[in-house]
Amino acid sequence: MSELLASALPSRARMRRTAPAVVSAVALAVMITVCASLQSDVLSVGGLTLVLSATVPLVIAAQAQMALMSVGDIDLGIGNFVGLVTVVSATTLVTSPLLGALTLIGLVAAYAVLGALIHLRRVPSLIATLGASFVWLGLGLFILPTPGGSTPEWLASLGSWQPAGFPAPLLPILVVALVVYLLTSRSALGVRMRGLGSNPVALQRAGLRPLTSRVIAYTVAGALGVLSGLMLASQTGGGDVSSASSYTLMTVAAVILGGGSFFGGSAVPWGVAIGGVTLGLVSVVLSLLDVQSNMQSAVQGVIVLAVLAGRVVVGKVLR
Amino acid sequence: MDNRGPRAGEPVVVAKGVTKTYGRTRALAGVDLEVRAGEVLGLVGHNGAGKSTLMRVLAGLEACDEGAVLVHGKEVSGAAGPRAEDFRAVRMAYQETSLCPDLTVAENIWVSSRHCLPRLGWRRAASDAVRRRLDEMFPGHGVTPRDRVEDLSLAQRQMVEITRASLVDRLDLLILDEPTESLGPDAARSLYDYVRTLTAAGTAVLLISHRIREVLSVADRVAVLRDGAVTAERFAEGLGEQDVLTLMGAHVAVPSEQDRAAARAAGDAADRPVVAELRGATGPGLREVSLRVGAGEVVGLAGLAGQGQQEVLERLWHPVRRDTTVVGTRAYVPGDRQRSGVLPLWSVAENLIVTAMRGLARQGLRRPAEERAAVGDWVERLAIRGGADAGITELSGGNQQKVIVARAFASTAELVLLDDPFRGVDVHTKTDLYALIRQEAAQGRSVVWYSSENAEMAHCDRVYVFRAGRVVAELVGEEISEERIIAVSFAESDGEQSNE
Amino acid sequence: MNIRTIVSRPWIWGFAAAVLVWAIIMAISGQGGGQTVSLALSLAPYLVVVGLGQMLVITAGPGNIDVSVAPIISLAGFVSVGVAGSTGSATVGILAGIGVGVLVAVISTVAILGLSVPPIIATLAAGLVASSVTLSLANGFTAVPDPGLRQLLNVRPAGIPILAVAVAALTGLVILLLRRTVYGRSLIAVGQNRRAAERAGIPVARVIATTYLVSGALAGLTGALLAAYIAPSADLGTRYLLDSVAVVVIGGTLISGGRAVPVGVWGAGLFFILLDGLVNLVGWSTAAQNLLKGGLVLFVLFLAGGGDRAGGTASRFRRRPRTAAATTTTTGDNTHG
Repeated sequence: MSELLASALPSRARMRRTAPAVVSAVALAVMITVCASLQSDVLSVGGLTLVLSATVPLVIAAQAQMALMSVGDIDLGIGNFVGLVTVVSATTLVTSPLLGALTLIGLVAAYAVLGALIHLRRVPSLIATLGASFVWLGLGLFILPTPGGSTPEWLASLGSWQPAGFPAPLLPILVVALVVYLLTSRSALGVRMRGLGSNPVALQRAGLRPLTSRVIAYTVAGALGVLSGLMLASQTGGGDVSSASSYTLMTVAAVILGGGSFFGGSAVPWGVAIGGVTLGLVSVVLSLLDVQSNMQSAVQGVIVLAVLAGRVVVGKVLR
Repeated sequence: MDNRGPRAGEPVVVAKGVTKTYGRTRALAGVDLEVRAGEVLGLVGHNGAGKSTLMRVLAGLEACDEGAVLVHGKEVSGAAGPRAEDFRAVRMAYQETSLCPDLTVAENIWVSSRHCLPRLGWRRAASDAVRRRLDEMFPGHGVTPRDRVEDLSLAQRQMVEITRASLVDRLDLLILDEPTESLGPDAARSLYDYVRTLTAAGTAVLLISHRIREVLSVADRVAVLRDGAVTAERFAEGLGEQDVLTLMGAHVAVPSEQDRAAARAAGDAADRPVVAELRGATGPGLREVSLRVGAGEVVGLAGLAGQGQQEVLERLWHPVRRDTTVVGTRAYVPGDRQRSGVLPLWSVAENLIVTAMRGLARQGLRRPAEERAAVGDWVERLAIRGGADAGITELSGGNQQKVIVARAFASTAELVLLDDPFRGVDVHTKTDLYALIRQEAAQGRSVVWYSSENAEMAHCDRVYVFRAGRVVAELVGEEISEERIIAVSFAESDGEQSNE
Repeated sequence: MNIRTIVSRPWIWGFAAAVLVWAIIMAISGQGGGQTVSLALSLAPYLVVVGLGQMLVITAGPGNIDVSVAPIISLAGFVSVGVAGSTGSATVGILAGIGVGVLVAVISTVAILGLSVPPIIATLAAGLVASSVTLSLANGFTAVPDPGLRQLLNVRPAGIPILAVAVAALTGLVILLLRRTVYGRSLIAVGQNRRAAERAGIPVARVIATTYLVSGALAGLTGALLAAYIAPSADLGTRYLLDSVAVVVIGGTLISGGRAVPVGVWGAGLFFILLDGLVNLVGWSTAAQNLLKGGLVLFVLFLAGGGDRAGGTASRFRRRPRTAAATTTTTGDNTHG
């Protein structure tokens, strides 16, 4: 009986946890309303497709960031990594699909190795991934010194797929969120990852190796990073190693917006999807509002700080 | 998950001449201990006697340096280190719990008992198992498997921790480390009822607790650990609390007659200038607390652990609220020296002077000569072994604590806050530090002293006893005695003990 | 010099690597080595100044990093050249550059301390704001760097640039700051154990704020000097993000905080500048430069390791996986004397 009651009424603790995602959802609704009032066809299927498509790679990269943040790490290389993937998919993947695919798998493996080294050498992920980000940048420039190339046909057609009745970008956003949800929140692997971020000592006492948890998280992040890069390439139709450099901050901000924490232990894939779309829409709103392109990054920075400040306030109220 | 134990009376886990050394500290100096199937073995000993190390070795978490650990007569812990599969039937419930706060109860069960859960549908299986076992062990627990551990109360977490340890396909030995520390009396009773059903089924239980009366009422045998060795093993029947205390070598530093006189003199001066005051302070963990600290006074905060004493120290350390007034400067002596005391990369001298440095400096520039002189004084005064230039981490715990205490007193602070700093410190060091506190108070310094050891309160001029965030008694001078404090701490219903 | 000395003086590595690269350059180019050294000494100071600021930030403990240095350098470049152009005084220009750096750092500091935003996000966001301002300033920017200052930066009596001497003096000041001032000791204490520092009566928030402000000021100074030396541009500072972190890491400063090695920043700075020279000499692309630097940082990072605090003889608790730090009860019991 009491159990029924407890699950029916959201506890204060549960409210505190979901509050950030709710705040972002409200922000998202406001953003869409603003868009719609400025440009009425935003609410049509075509309009939503246009507005949402730019957010798809960002949301997927944000899920990658969340995987790392669930073990308590932060990835400062995800932007350049996604850029590198677009380069690979616009060059090697076209000229020799097998080698391209192997390269992409190799990149995921590189992430796993990075995670293992970070764990074994007890190095802060912040600085290691910052170093790695220059390796990704270097590799990207090495393969394609200037933006260009063209993505394989199948990838391009994926990017231009326009089903009738619903906005196509919604599909990858929801599917990826669902997969990440099943993986991080429902599966045993997810328990291992979150357990590492939550209390590594308990993991060790139970005979679970923290190294394995960290490697799993980095592998998941690498795979999602590759997926994000492929989606980005399918939209831009070419490769550019610096096309996603803003993702580094944006993904972290999306995770925080979605209710994640810097200290690890929690996985919030649905919140991240909402947070990522919200952040992605910021630039759409800014361009609709005729904000100078120079000022866009400043506005984004201020919004991130404002949302974090809002979270502090909400957290204090609900405590 | 049923518990099929071995035949009663047969030794389950045996320690033979186990030693363990950490750095310069010998935690275990040859322990011989036998836990037999179907019995409850109580393990008692002072802080630092080696209890936690011994438990870790018996649970297979750490290898011993010499000697051997035998599980069912098979040697399993040699130099190569323990293997997890040998210790699968040995489970331990930790005092500070071994749960992941961000995970749900069911997920925590998966972490520790995954090898007896199905690969698919583990969540449901774990939920069912933990719900059933919780109902069995702690009726009326109020925990659901979907709850996150961080949202549970302290008592509920302890229940989940004990349940977690007991959930396994085969349980030969269950180690309970201070299991009732945050449980209410009802929960404690039902836990011990369950312990009896476990032992009836042939499981051995190793109970570690500082509540000696509790141990005597539950255990079949009692082993006393002292200075890293088992010094006595007795049948619990016919054994009294006083006997156990004597076996443990209970030695309480009794204040000398001089100190008493000084305390009496201090107690008289009720109208001395007030250095710090709390007026009806209410907030998280505190309810209507009013207290006053006079200049040159040693004020004790007593009572069971976690009844609001540390919150008072926090208020005095950061006097930001309007109900708190503190005149003059403050210094703080933390109890948990690893986490909030020691600056690990520095030497003794650097650690000692870091607070006083601010007062000695001129225009933000340090004055090395004055600092050196002050360090030299304090190293000599407290006889800190290793000298000023030794690395702080090379020192023994007691000497590290001396440095942390000296750090506070070397400053010019008028009010010194002590946060139970003498836990697990050896008797000689304690005696030195008690004397230091009285000397400093005689020179006009005020001290607010929280201690979990009631005997220490005898060194205070005035003692406030806390229960559930309230001051329930104020004892002055002659009134301060261990018996009196215990009596007041437990006075009303014992049910209030469960925190939160 | 035996191995123990090298291990206990981590800054030696940077200098050793610098000498190695210098030897390679000499072998390849066949030119006089003195010229190479002189050139390196005129380029390294910029990196050293910003590196010193980054070193102070990293010394403040885990999680502390200043990623706003790159946009600050770019912004300060424009501001200082602009101000110097309109006032006619190079000194005022440099001060304006420093002021801009402090201003950006104020945003980060308020976010870190007031909103409890992790430093990485706070400095990134402040940097974004700064880079927006930079882009706006860059539009139609016409002022040219002060010729007097540029000349001064190029003066090399006996092959040693004046700037190198000045920055060496600045490094000396930083060493004194860390050893002899209350602030310096407080910073090192905070970096070792923030909780303990707070309980020891150190105003942690003030120390952290000062550190970020100093880092911002030093980045601003770098930008002002660099813009006078080269020319203001929107990506003037870009390379200094990784480079500043890299010279700190390679220089032997403890990444987990609590130990700063200012001299090491010089060694690593010279090494990086010479490495650039080598890469240019061989004719490698920017791609290879990035790869080399990123790889180098990772190599040194993984070689040194984070939990391994060199010099401590009784560090067995810290040698265990970092997870052990959380089990306070076990470590506590182990050390009972």
